[in-house]
Amino acid sequence: MSKSVIEMPPKGGFSFDLCKRNEMLAKKGVSPPSFRKTGTTIVGLIFQDGVILGADTRATEGPIVCDKNCEKIHYMAPNIYCCGAGTAADTEAVTDMVSSQLQLHRYHTGRESRVVTALTLLKRHLFNYQGYVSAALVLGGVDVTGPHLHTIYPHGSTDTLPFATMGSGSLAAMAVFESKYKEGLTRDEGIKLVTEAICSGIFNDLGSGSNVDICVITKGAKEYLRNHLQPNPRTYTSSKGYSFPKKTEVLLTKITPLKEKVEIIEGGDAMEE
Amino acid sequence: MLSLLPKDFEFFITMGDSQYSFSLTTFSPSGKLVQIEHALTAVGSGQTSLGIKAANGVVIATEKKLPSILVDETSVQKIQCLTPNIGVVYSGMGPDFRVLVRKSRKQAEQYHRLYKEPIPVTQLVRETAAVMQEFTQSGGVRPFGVSLLIAGYDDNGPQLYQVDPSGSYFSWKASAMGKNVSNAKTFLEKRYTDDMELDDAVHTAILTLKEGFEGQISGKNIEIGIIGTDKKFRVLTPSEVDDYLAEVE
Repeated sequence: MSKSVIEMPPKGGFSFDLCKRNEMLAKKGVSPPSFRKTGTTIVGLIFQDGVILGADTRATEGPIVCDKNCEKIHYMAPNIYCCGAGTAADTEAVTDMVSSQLQLHRYHTGRESRVVTALTLLKRHLFNYQGYVSAALVLGGVDVTGPHLHTIYPHGSTDTLPFATMGSGSLAAMAVFESKYKEGLTRDEGIKLVTEAICSGIFNDLGSGSNVDICVITKGAKEYLRNHLQPNPRTYTSSKGYSFPKKTEVLLTKITPLKEKVEIIEGGDAMEE
Repeated sequence: MLSLLPKDFEFFITMGDSQYSFSLTTFSPSGKLVQIEHALTAVGSGQTSLGIKAANGVVIATEKKLPSILVDETSVQKIQCLTPNIGVVYSGMGPDFRVLVRKSRKQAEQYHRLYKEPIPVTQLVRETAAVMQEFTQSGGVRPFGVSLLIAGYDDNGPQLYQVDPSGSYFSWKASAMGKNVSNAKTFLEKRYTDDMELDDAVHTAILTLKEGFEGQISGKNIEIGIIGTDKKFRVLTPSEVDDYLAEVE
């Protein structure tokens, strides 16, 4: 093994050595590692009476914002809600399917659904599809065993946590949680902290934006605060109205009637069948 | 003396496998399906159940005679909910009823997932009836030994349907099934009015059940399910049933 001398990068400009290497690898069939921005900030935390879930409302299609006010907090059961990051169709379909299964389960057992039931149904489905169902979820709810908060990754692994964030804005939101979270938060403190975390994602991450949605779940009750905070309001028209000072002058008016292209032949032969 | 060649044995084996590959409901020379007739007899010897459609709701009720006083009556629930606004009661074989309830619930849920609207009562009745008909035309199965009374409230108002083991269904203003069916139907014909309120319908249902009831009627040995303009189907608790019984006295 020859000892290689550490080469100093050439002064000024960009070194294209690795680009050549990447090209060579691509020709040999080795594709570069891909990363996918999930374009969302979703969070959840456990407070003294239950669980609070929060999400931003921006849906992106590459560099374009395709929905400025979408709903990322999905209904699973009367006492369980789920925030979804990743491919919107995947999160919608998977939460819808599991919500349906939970409803049937409730009919058969006659009992309130448990959060771990939803968790297991989701992770089994995601694992079966080996990560191709691109849904990263924050699942939270309150059942007979108490409040629960879980994160589910697209490949099917799960975490159980007192506070959690997912999506491209998760680091920004987690920074807020890590510094300000404490056990036994009251409802208002919890909502304030979740709003702060989502706002941190909205303002510092390109993939997240628009408004803040909050869902508070406690024993026997739930509150879905849609657009709890709207830090990016859109003004549509000026209240004074618009007036354009200079109008285009009319110099000449000439009207030319167009000839009818279709000739109507009366009493022609019927079409052959 | 027949000398059987190996190929003959093969024939017999395949014959044996296909013994049940034809349906048990094959037409009789008189044009009837005998198994379905027998299924209806099974229904006819089941406990009485009835349903009444009022102007502002539907009520379904059934006897809940348990085989012994040692049976825990709270564990038995004959009236079941299929969707939040549709309920069902039966006469006939309990286990067959459970299977149908399970299938119907799944179909209602699938409809909801596809169309994102609660399933209309007629649709659910049609799909349940289709399942019951399947079992009269498939190999190796027998028809269901239950008749169902499906009660629901949707955009078309209150509705009551009866589904038979053959898979035929009828919409009724009031109907009864099971042991005491003829007396019960006569009683209902006399008592039924088109502008009945839900409470009157419950009273009428109780009186009809009382007609053929052996022994002391109470909240513990009958079951009543109602659905009103709130479109929420629920089974009355034994104490609520006792209250209605007291009103009837």
